[in-house]
Amino acid sequence: MSPQPQSAVGAPLSRVDGRLKVTGKAEYAAEHDIKGAVHAVIVDASIGRGRIRSIDTRAAEKHAGVLRVIHHRNAPKLPYRDNPGSNNPTGRRLRVFQDDLVLFHGQPVAVVVATTLEAAQHGASLVKVAYNAEQPSTDISKAEPGAPVPYARGDAEAGLRSSAVRLDLTYALARNHHNPMEPHATVARWDGDRLTVWDKTQWIVGTHDEIAAVFDLPSDAVRVINPFVGGGFGSGLRCWPHTIVAALAARVTRRPVKLVLSRKQMYFGTGFRPAYAYRLRLGSDRRGRLNAAIHDFDAETSSYETFFEAAGAPGQMLYSMPNVSQAYRQVPLDVNTPIWMRGPGFATGSYVIESALDELAHELGIDPIELRRRNEPEEDPSNDLPFSTRRLRECYTVGAREFGWDRRSQQPRARREGDWLIGMGMAAGVYHSGSNAAQARVRLDADGTALVETASSDMGPGTYTSQTQVAADALGLTMRAVTFRLGDSLYPPTPPHGGSQTMASVGSAVLDGCDQVRRQAIELAVGDEESPLYGVNADDVVVRNGRLHVQGTPARGETYKSLLARNGRSHLEARGSYAGPAQPERHSISAYNATFAEVAVDATLGLVRVRRMLGVYDAGRIISPKLAESQAIGGIVGGIGQALLEHTVTDHRDGRIVNASLADYLVPVNADVPEVGVIYLDGDDPDGNALGVKGLGEVVLVGVAPAIANAVFNATGRRVRELPITAEALL
Amino acid sequence: MHPFSYTRVSNVREALDAGSRGGRYIAGGTTLVDLMRETVETPETIVDISALPLGDITATAGGGIRIGALVPMAVATADPKLNSLFPVAAQALRGASAQLRNMATIGGNIMQRTRCTYFRDVTADCNKREPGSGCAALGGYNRGHAILGGSDQCVAVHASDFAVALSALEASVHLQAPDGRNRRLPFADFLLRPGSTPHREQAIRQGELITSVEIPAYPRPLKSAYLKLRDRQSYSFGLASAAVALHVRGGVIREAKVAAGGVATVPWKLSAVERALVGERPSDRLWAEAARHAADGARPLQHNRFKVELLKRTVERQLRTVGEME
Repeated sequence: MSPQPQSAVGAPLSRVDGRLKVTGKAEYAAEHDIKGAVHAVIVDASIGRGRIRSIDTRAAEKHAGVLRVIHHRNAPKLPYRDNPGSNNPTGRRLRVFQDDLVLFHGQPVAVVVATTLEAAQHGASLVKVAYNAEQPSTDISKAEPGAPVPYARGDAEAGLRSSAVRLDLTYALARNHHNPMEPHATVARWDGDRLTVWDKTQWIVGTHDEIAAVFDLPSDAVRVINPFVGGGFGSGLRCWPHTIVAALAARVTRRPVKLVLSRKQMYFGTGFRPAYAYRLRLGSDRRGRLNAAIHDFDAETSSYETFFEAAGAPGQMLYSMPNVSQAYRQVPLDVNTPIWMRGPGFATGSYVIESALDELAHELGIDPIELRRRNEPEEDPSNDLPFSTRRLRECYTVGAREFGWDRRSQQPRARREGDWLIGMGMAAGVYHSGSNAAQARVRLDADGTALVETASSDMGPGTYTSQTQVAADALGLTMRAVTFRLGDSLYPPTPPHGGSQTMASVGSAVLDGCDQVRRQAIELAVGDEESPLYGVNADDVVVRNGRLHVQGTPARGETYKSLLARNGRSHLEARGSYAGPAQPERHSISAYNATFAEVAVDATLGLVRVRRMLGVYDAGRIISPKLAESQAIGGIVGGIGQALLEHTVTDHRDGRIVNASLADYLVPVNADVPEVGVIYLDGDDPDGNALGVKGLGEVVLVGVAPAIANAVFNATGRRVRELPITAEALL
Repeated sequence: MHPFSYTRVSNVREALDAGSRGGRYIAGGTTLVDLMRETVETPETIVDISALPLGDITATAGGGIRIGALVPMAVATADPKLNSLFPVAAQALRGASAQLRNMATIGGNIMQRTRCTYFRDVTADCNKREPGSGCAALGGYNRGHAILGGSDQCVAVHASDFAVALSALEASVHLQAPDGRNRRLPFADFLLRPGSTPHREQAIRQGELITSVEIPAYPRPLKSAYLKLRDRQSYSFGLASAAVALHVRGGVIREAKVAAGGVATVPWKLSAVERALVGERPSDRLWAEAARHAADGARPLQHNRFKVELLKRTVERQLRTVGEME
């Protein structure tokens, strides 16, 4: 087929759902007004480990409006069938109200269902739970790690011994929580044996399958709906216990049930980016050529599931070096299970490597960018595959020029403005470009409009908009003529809306479906004696503004509308699909960035102010530039939080999270966010998918924290190897 | 939230009657409603006093100022008289977010309760919330807690920035009792250190109503400013803060008023620093020497040792800043 003109893809369009959002008409999970719904409030365990001795529900049950208090002594036994293919980590998932065990502080131990939210909340405060408490283990530095997940190439120990320059550095990264604006919420309604769930999720299919597995329901008896997600950053990538609690409560009370986690409950009712203790030993020659790296890192996981993320990946492939070994040890603790958070694993590993490289550059007196150039691999050193595209060198060049890198002094503490020391830092970032099988339903109606449906999600990146752009160009329609729907398990299945894979996966399926429908229309026209296009080679026909015409001869053609009407067709339809990445992989495909930071540090008072940030991205083709810029700004803001503010604090005496509120867990506010520059390199990546995209939601956060940490060193000469960097580290 | 009854009063007499019967006064509600939601506070009756005529800001003879208890923080912050007479007080009010300033009142500001997260978590031990239950903060996470003015019962920090300025300027609080009698309490006596009764936070009697706060007159010119250090640049309580006011005449400091916040259980008047300044000529050395006394008597905890040094540096910085003001 002739390539379609691209007028929507690549255009800086505003969100198609923007008006709905700013007028409050976009319905988030808790906002679905389900007739007869009652309210559920979870009672959280107030110990960090142990057993429930007794539950006294009398006062709660007497409170006006309370319908039922459900807990392990009266809850129905649930099948909790295995759910292969889910995002549940290895282990035995938490089973709500199935036994008397308390595995972490805040675990649901009961739920109060009442006719009003206020009655349910008050009822929950009246439930008296007595425990046999045990001492929980929540301190990663004091607990016994699990067996290491190893990686090795070459001989890292020998390589390190023979290196002329050796660094031995230990880093600590705090636990981070996603803290999306929208709280997690579920509305559950049973109609006989069929269950409908309105649930905040980043994976409609995953939540659907998990509910079916927990209650042992046939697949078609469960429907999950979630058209809008008010931020996720990964917190919605698996089905959490509260969703099961809501469905269970609805079944017991035979009423639709609405359950909204409080902000506090978000800190143990959903996952988090785990804390890490990370030791990196690095060896190079005197000219900065890396020779060996030994990575030993420990990460939090729960006692009941072993959470894994790709924290080792950057150390395996970001730089060329012959000898690498890694030992990644998950440390089981009496905490709830972590979950991927924006730039999962990569943000952690890159922080360590990029910080260490900055130390090496300083040690050797080499510019940090030059040091990275000297270690730029020609092919992926972890699997010897050629890179599809890897344009880090261009990112460095463009970034250095636009940021004014030449104004940076190699010597720390060289620039001062009054009480402020000024410094610049940079870091590279990487995130692998994943994708998975996806499907989309495309229907072109006789009125010349189209409907595209997938079970995908839009947690904020602008899926509605960017997928509409893809569909509009592939169908040859205006943006207004295309309606894109997502967030319903009745729509064709899609992979998790996370890991920067939505455009590569869902977009490819949408493109395929639209291509099929366009081809159907073209073939109908060229075979239709009454069409002006009769007899034309189908490959020579393009569609623009809903009108098919011969490429290069716009006068010869007709509209979809007239074609379908004349042929008595109510619509054309296709199911688009994307099969997933080529197997075996032929290329190493990742998105890259160079991130630059300028900070001002009042070293006397321990204050850090980020003054400027710039990200330069090699992310393949950019479908929706305005939204891509927003994504990058959001990623940089998240990275500022990781670098300077975000820190979930656990009281190890009893496992409670001490700062479980947005007043005490600090994320950046507008005043903390400086001028942010965003540059996407032009071009596309031809090897991964037909759209040429590499994903960008994750990579924009990776590299931000080390760029800031390196700038703090350049400003002050003080090397802080702990995130977040707070006042006490700088005094 | 526990069930409660709500009354709205239209004059001071009605308020005092309701207050004497055990009602809790509420105006902006920015502390009380929060704490009721967390079930930290469980009043049976709340008495809405926001309609009372306590919303005036008036200059007093000689150049002081009196601010009605129900003046919103936002109004006080913008008041030209307050800004010209006592910039330190207007700036301290700006330590709060715009949302809080719009809702919260001056009287409520000095009645606000601590941000100690254990106090706000009803499943944790807290002598302030539940006398005799213990203090989870002493052996827990106490980065934000007091290095000064604490006891073995409580180390919670008083969170008000405005109160730090009032402390420095030796303000007073006007109160009216249910029997109609008025009294005036020096601000230094109004807020109580925890001692063995951390649940008692103000020297206020049952049913007593704050009618205004008054900042006294000072010899002019009086240079003053407030500095607040925090982890993020807005929407954040202070790690350390300093309120400084100086009257310099003939090249000599005649009056020095200094207090610190974010580090103590009550706004911390730095009398030793003041003494070190009065009668001296401004110089960088003087600021450093005076500030050396800022953390005298500090008893740091596991996570807040850095505040000892931070406090001294904050005070020194702010002495210099105010000292160098034209």
